[in-house]
Amino acid sequence: MKPAAFDYHAPVDLDEAVGLLGELGEDAKVIAGGQSLVPMLALRLAAVDHLVDLRRVGELRGIEVRDGALWIGAGMTQAAVERSAEVAEAVPLLARATRLIGHFQIRNRGTIGGSIAHADAAAEYPAVALALDAEFEACSPRGRRTLPAREFFTGWWSTALDPDEVLTGISFPRRAGRSGFAIEELARRHGDFAIAGAAVALELDDGERVRRCGIGLFGLGSSVQRAAAAEEALAGAVAADVRPDEIGRTAMTGLDSIPSDLHGPPEYRKRVGAAMVARAWTKALQEARNG
Amino acid sequence: MTAAARYAGTRVQRVEDTRLLTGRGVFVDDVVRPGMLHAHFVRSPMARGRIRSIDASAALALDGVHAVYTAEDLNPGVREHWYSLIGRNVPDTPRPPLAEGEVRFVGDPVALVVAVDRYVAEDAAELVVVDYEPLTPVVSYVSATESEELVHEAYPRNVAGTLGGRPAEDLAGTFAGAAYDVQETIHQQAYSAVPMETRGLIAEYSAPTREMTIWASTQSPHEVRLFCSRLLGLPEHHVRVVMRDTGGGFGQKAVPQREDMCVMLAALRLPVALKWIEDRQENLSSAGQGRHEHGAARMAFDDDGRILAAAIEHVQDAGAYPVPWPVQTAMVVGLLFPGPYRVPEATFTCTSVFSNTNARAAYRGPWQFETLSREMLLDIAARRMGMDPIELRRKNLLRRDEMPVANPNGMPYDDVTPLETFEHALDLLDYEAFRAEQERARAEGRYLGVGTSTYIEPTTTGMGFLGTEGATIRIEPSGKVNVYVAGGSSGNSLETTVVQLTADALGVDMADVSTIQGDTAITPFGGGTGGSRSGSMIAGAVAETASVLRERLLAIAAHRLEAAVEDLELVGGQAVVRGTPGSGISVAEIADLAYFDTGKLPPGVPPGLEASGRHKGQAPMIWANATHVCTCEVDVETGMVTLLRYIVSEDCGPMINPNVVEGQIAGGTVQGIGGALFEQGVYDEDGNPLTTTFVDYLLPTSTEVPTIEYGHVETPGPGPGGYKGVGEGGAIGAPPAVVNAVADALAPFGVTLTRLPVTPASVVALVQAARDGGPA
Repeated sequence: MKPAAFDYHAPVDLDEAVGLLGELGEDAKVIAGGQSLVPMLALRLAAVDHLVDLRRVGELRGIEVRDGALWIGAGMTQAAVERSAEVAEAVPLLARATRLIGHFQIRNRGTIGGSIAHADAAAEYPAVALALDAEFEACSPRGRRTLPAREFFTGWWSTALDPDEVLTGISFPRRAGRSGFAIEELARRHGDFAIAGAAVALELDDGERVRRCGIGLFGLGSSVQRAAAAEEALAGAVAADVRPDEIGRTAMTGLDSIPSDLHGPPEYRKRVGAAMVARAWTKALQEARNG
Repeated sequence: MTAAARYAGTRVQRVEDTRLLTGRGVFVDDVVRPGMLHAHFVRSPMARGRIRSIDASAALALDGVHAVYTAEDLNPGVREHWYSLIGRNVPDTPRPPLAEGEVRFVGDPVALVVAVDRYVAEDAAELVVVDYEPLTPVVSYVSATESEELVHEAYPRNVAGTLGGRPAEDLAGTFAGAAYDVQETIHQQAYSAVPMETRGLIAEYSAPTREMTIWASTQSPHEVRLFCSRLLGLPEHHVRVVMRDTGGGFGQKAVPQREDMCVMLAALRLPVALKWIEDRQENLSSAGQGRHEHGAARMAFDDDGRILAAAIEHVQDAGAYPVPWPVQTAMVVGLLFPGPYRVPEATFTCTSVFSNTNARAAYRGPWQFETLSREMLLDIAARRMGMDPIELRRKNLLRRDEMPVANPNGMPYDDVTPLETFEHALDLLDYEAFRAEQERARAEGRYLGVGTSTYIEPTTTGMGFLGTEGATIRIEPSGKVNVYVAGGSSGNSLETTVVQLTADALGVDMADVSTIQGDTAITPFGGGTGGSRSGSMIAGAVAETASVLRERLLAIAAHRLEAAVEDLELVGGQAVVRGTPGSGISVAEIADLAYFDTGKLPPGVPPGLEASGRHKGQAPMIWANATHVCTCEVDVETGMVTLLRYIVSEDCGPMINPNVVEGQIAGGTVQGIGGALFEQGVYDEDGNPLTTTFVDYLLPTSTEVPTIEYGHVETPGPGPGGYKGVGEGGAIGAPPAVVNAVADALAPFGVTLTRLPVTPASVVALVQAARDGGPA
């Protein structure tokens, strides 16, 4: 379990990082916290000629309000997100999701940008970003751009980022209105990747109708995804009329490529996914009404 | 003669902990030798295939590579490969160091790369080209006896061996005439020891002196020495095995395996030391696995629920290269199937079957299936009979006042307390209160369950390799004490135990006693850790040896104090006249006389304060017993099981150190919980292992395990101090207690649980099947 040899680069700023990636091309791979990449290298499931380590790049750090949204630098560790009072206040769903990521030792090194760019289909942060309609900032030798979460996750461990592009930050809309948030997942053990999970971001209008409900699903396909059918059914609905188990079932319609693995067949995952949506909905609704 | 016990029975802190908890333990990978080289194995990527050719030229051309050995190089060096643990006179199964002609499981070692470091060795291993002709593997041991393919040509039907009890026909009448004849086939999955420290060793050979030194991660340094001596044809006294800390063994490190053989053989050819440290993938796919077996379990009951007969047909997976010989261990499943109950008649068959998978290796309570299958069957029977499983057990459990009693297979139980631990554990739970809570929860649509499991286990065998243990005690000239025992501690506190017992035996402070273990050059011969023997055997060895020194200390003291020996006692590091404080002479003063002023010794007393002694087990085994009780809640929507309480009431006799006893119980119990709910070694239909990292092989962690509550019943056994073994029981008792708790929670659905592990998906499938009206 020793990786094959590679060259290691530790650029000090974003320009240098992006320059290196442009220069080294496909032979290079970005490393942030290394919580997924390092085991893959050690197992020789992945091999790279060059590792470009982002840990010294200051532009990737910070948690602050930018343009009305809460901007979190891609290089922030999950532990920093977990401890941030600003995150807890402005983006409570993100704070709640963080506690479900691995164990604290992993969160001490793992970064929010790494989680999102790695794009594991069963990961919490990508689903939260989807549910909240977050925006991702990226930088490449060709310049900077912004990508909506909805267009970012494109399949098994793949994203809309180019190979020489670095995810620099994520902008989350701040909590507003009569809103409620919940994330529910089922994992065999605390800290494991979820068998299935759902992140729900709900906003009610003054008439107890659903103004907006974003549902991010994870563990239920080749990438995280929005529960489109359920969101559609909920739009404008009177919250009191919504049957949680029905919304759970609706959320599971139209899902293809539900994984089958040692933890169970697709049918089982679907059942769990429906239960997680129903539970998250119920909790989010309760918070929206009370809060 | 005996001083009042001061340390035995108390919660003394472990003497090992300071170094272990501060990261100063010395494990084999911490040992570095001058010029040391590193080994890495090229392993088979397929379950079965013929090796057509091996081309190592590219690997040998890589900078830093010293050698690539194949079976042709190493295997002819084998002289003998039998284990002291099992003896030379069993029909042992094949055990070539490297695969010869055919590979027999994914992970089978094919070549050994030797390089300057592990990185280069792994680079080189990728360059070794092995041309295989794939053969059809025998993946499932269950269908292996019907397969046309053979794992080993010499074993027809892939059967490694079968042993059995009375002819089944003898019991046919009893079963036919019984009010209830309950049978069910119980299946247990493969799971493994998973020591925190993987396997590993360093072998360093000095050709001029023909001396081999081995640093090993082992449960038994003397077994490694004897094995190496026989393997290489070196005289036993030319082999030295050293170990300080071993990070868990659980049976997997009881005897050297094939990789160890390879490193020993390769070291003979190298001018410097060779280190091999197993990585986790290798450990999970090639270090051997346990369990993986099934049994048709059957019991006959009369109208009142009294057991009339018990029978089991047990079949276990031996894998490709089992260690040690699996056939004998399997028979213990049959012999102990009647368990701690009054059973008039019994029979069994136990069969070991080869497959093209990871070897069967010893694993904490290797015969544990007898308890699993019996305790699961009893719960199933109780439900079929409409009886509370607790009442069914109460009617049949043996009591202390019935001892001694032999079970129908001839197992001579004595000094055990099955019913007593059972009632004790249920009291700790408050069984009636739990049933009331369960009823209230069900009314709310929540499903709680309780499961129990009671067993008797053989510990501390008095036979064979493990039947004796020696100790050497040296009271040094300063009065400080060193105790030498064979060791082989793999985390089980042998150092603390030895220091406690010696301090008590000599009446000195624990801080004045050190123990030296794990070096065959300086310690007495001994069997090491295994078979739940260490506490009891070491107590015997220390007592035997210390009595000689006590006698000498007291003789010298009596002479100096002009008192009668009978009036003296050893206490607080002094020999004192009983009832006369301040009258004494210290052990340090006595030692000074014994070494430096021998003219003042009484006539007939030899100089010095060194002694060696050896304890011999007096009984063929010492029986221990326990009851486990577990409660849980099952989320029937997701199938998730949450354990609520876990209670163990055990009887290992008087406890030398309750902390150590409870640590042993906890460790075993958590492994058993892992087996019930989480751990599983999975192969696909082509024989590829799917669970070779901790992402897929799920160990229970602190968040999945409830606080374990302990009850202690202390009934002295026949050994020294009345101590019994306690190392394996937790892993034996836990799986059925957990599974029975889940089954109890699901009882309203009419579910019958017969397969481990109980995963969330399997719970949902069972409930679904029951709801759909079909038999589960």
